[in-house]
Amino acid sequence: MSALRDEFSQWMSDNLCGDYECLRGRATPGDEDAFPGMRLKWEREMGEAGWIGVSWPKEYGGRGASLDEIVGFNEEYAAHGGPGRAGHIGETLLAPTIIAFGTEAQKAKYLPGIKAGTEFWCQGYSEPNAGSDLSNIKTKARLKNGQWIIEGQKIWTSLAMDSDYIFVLARAEEGSAGRHGLVFLLVRLDQPGIEIRPIKQMSGTAEFNEVFFGGAVCGEEDIIGGVGEGWKIAMALLGFERGASTLGQQMTFADEFRQIVELAKKNGASQNPLIRQRIAKAYAGLKIMRFTALRTLEAAETGELTKEGYMSKIYWASWHRDLGELAMEVMGASAEILEEGEYNKMQKLFLFSRSDTIYGGTNQIQRNIIAERALGMPKEPRGGGKVIKG
Amino acid sequence: MTYPFTDDHDMIRDAARGFLQAWYDGGKGPERIYQSDTSFDQAAWTSFAQELGMAGIAIDEAYGGAGMGDLGRVVVMEELGASLCAIPFLTTCGIVTDIIQTAGEATAKNRYLKKIAAGELSAAYCDGHDAAAKVVSHVVHAAEAELIVLSGRGQGGIDYFAIPKGTSGLKITPEKTMDPTRSFASVDWSDVAKGDLIPLGYGSEDQHQKLITQSFIALAAECVGGAQKCLDMTLEYAGQRVQFGRPIASFQAIKHRCADMFILIEAARSAVYAAAMAAPEDKTEAALIAKAYAADAFFKVAGDAIQMHGGIGFTWEYPLHFFFKRARANRSMFGNSERDYDRLAGHIFGDAA
Repeated sequence: MSALRDEFSQWMSDNLCGDYECLRGRATPGDEDAFPGMRLKWEREMGEAGWIGVSWPKEYGGRGASLDEIVGFNEEYAAHGGPGRAGHIGETLLAPTIIAFGTEAQKAKYLPGIKAGTEFWCQGYSEPNAGSDLSNIKTKARLKNGQWIIEGQKIWTSLAMDSDYIFVLARAEEGSAGRHGLVFLLVRLDQPGIEIRPIKQMSGTAEFNEVFFGGAVCGEEDIIGGVGEGWKIAMALLGFERGASTLGQQMTFADEFRQIVELAKKNGASQNPLIRQRIAKAYAGLKIMRFTALRTLEAAETGELTKEGYMSKIYWASWHRDLGELAMEVMGASAEILEEGEYNKMQKLFLFSRSDTIYGGTNQIQRNIIAERALGMPKEPRGGGKVIKG
Repeated sequence: MTYPFTDDHDMIRDAARGFLQAWYDGGKGPERIYQSDTSFDQAAWTSFAQELGMAGIAIDEAYGGAGMGDLGRVVVMEELGASLCAIPFLTTCGIVTDIIQTAGEATAKNRYLKKIAAGELSAAYCDGHDAAAKVVSHVVHAAEAELIVLSGRGQGGIDYFAIPKGTSGLKITPEKTMDPTRSFASVDWSDVAKGDLIPLGYGSEDQHQKLITQSFIALAAECVGGAQKCLDMTLEYAGQRVQFGRPIASFQAIKHRCADMFILIEAARSAVYAAAMAAPEDKTEAALIAKAYAADAFFKVAGDAIQMHGGIGFTWEYPLHFFFKRARANRSMFGNSERDYDRLAGHIFGDAA
């Protein structure tokens, strides 16, 4: 174990207690609305102790942690039942993008708030008509009198309700199409031109939102990269997503799996040979997920881009959806009962995991990506702006 | 060099692949073996084991081997799976090597390991625990093996014996199987004098279980190699075959199925590499996962490969059927994946029988 891991483990033991006890194992996807106030306070606690941005370079206030240390950090967080991180979009997606492509002024302006756990970010990519076909975005940004003026709509914006800022992919050049003419904007949410509406999901909760832009503004300098480079920046940001955090996510999965095993022992489902087969397969799938992530991370450490990285999303999403179904099978008839009138943890897992195979690139899009990039098969034909009718 | 492998592994992989793909020769190798009616290629075995020096890959350096353990063996087995070369590497360099290395007395090690490492001795393993009649059928590679290693329940554990080919009373009867590229035979030692069973060593029941389960890893690696070959053939074919004015590889129905094959294969690969790398205390569990997952994956991928080849995939002339038959055979070798998962469930629930 690394010194950093030991230190963090100790800190978690000392701090995730008392008032924060209620957060243990909570606020995972599907449970994002749990204790919102305490979660934001917890982020500040993490920030004050210097546990946000451990992977950032030291010159930006990070610890310059190595891969092993980052893995250890994520695993300790999950092992201690650390709650879903409200600040992960800023910390693990936007900050590395700013560090790689931002100006010095942007680094000085945005990194400290992320690092302190006081400023939260959300991601403005998808639109009603730009889901799988993300480059079809229509939200407009026009430069006027030293300000960008933004008109349009984003959707499926996670955690917008708890965020201070949104990064927005918008069309800056009139008449441009596809990946051209886009700009990547950094926009404050608390302003008259922005309205946030929560979307109530089949899980009963509302992690996702619609964000409407009606003349919202940001400064001329509040863009990363140049005009026309929005797509490049947006994709680079997603590239930071396939990092060591997947191992932390797997610890959360392992915890859910353990709870299902305990339940099966308790209610006798463990005596059912078919349930036993499915439990064993789920366990095997989790172990495989872990070693696949290690293969990808270890190869990345030596600068290699390996093909198995392309299966990460579809693999964990499908596994997790199946786990939700298995949880219901283990519960048997009681799966249908709402204790205390609310969904319990298993029911939330079952319902919310239906979104896993949709958001962040559907399973169908993932298969296209695997076929084209990992297997070198021909690319999908595109409509070229016209809708092809059957 | 890609994790978890080193440059040494890459060298071995290149050497094994070069030799084995030349042997495979677009499917002519397996067909030749089918025509020969023996399920064994002596010349290939001699070249591979002796000249290429592959037989000692997992044997300690003290006995003339390369000492590369499970991971080295995985590299070779993947290439064997991609060629279906009819040689007894799986048993000689897998389970028999492991039994002698783990449970063998010093004399047995000196006598046999050096010979195996030098490529001068082939071997098969026969589980005689429940064979009161001293006959066991379906023993893999027994038909050509120069040495049969037999295990039986003794006082307080498992005893291992060697029966060299040609021992008086030993009857080996080759079996015809659906997969023609790997030999199986029944072994009958009921007429072998007790004094002719050469003691090799002994171990506990627990140690024996671990040894047997560890040997699953090599079979799982073979499944990965075979499945990869099926996907490679499918991608090549789908890229060339034109229907409706397009290569069929451009249709999502084909692309998505190939993507699913890729996921199965890479997941199986992860399971196999994880098992090869596992610490001794995690080995059994990791090996169960590797074999169960990889055997199922190979069977699914081989079947899908035939489907995506269309009619030609169904012909004898096209070599996919050899892989499909091997995949089917591997599903029942050392017990099927349902049994592996059942054992795994016993570990998970802590109620193993």
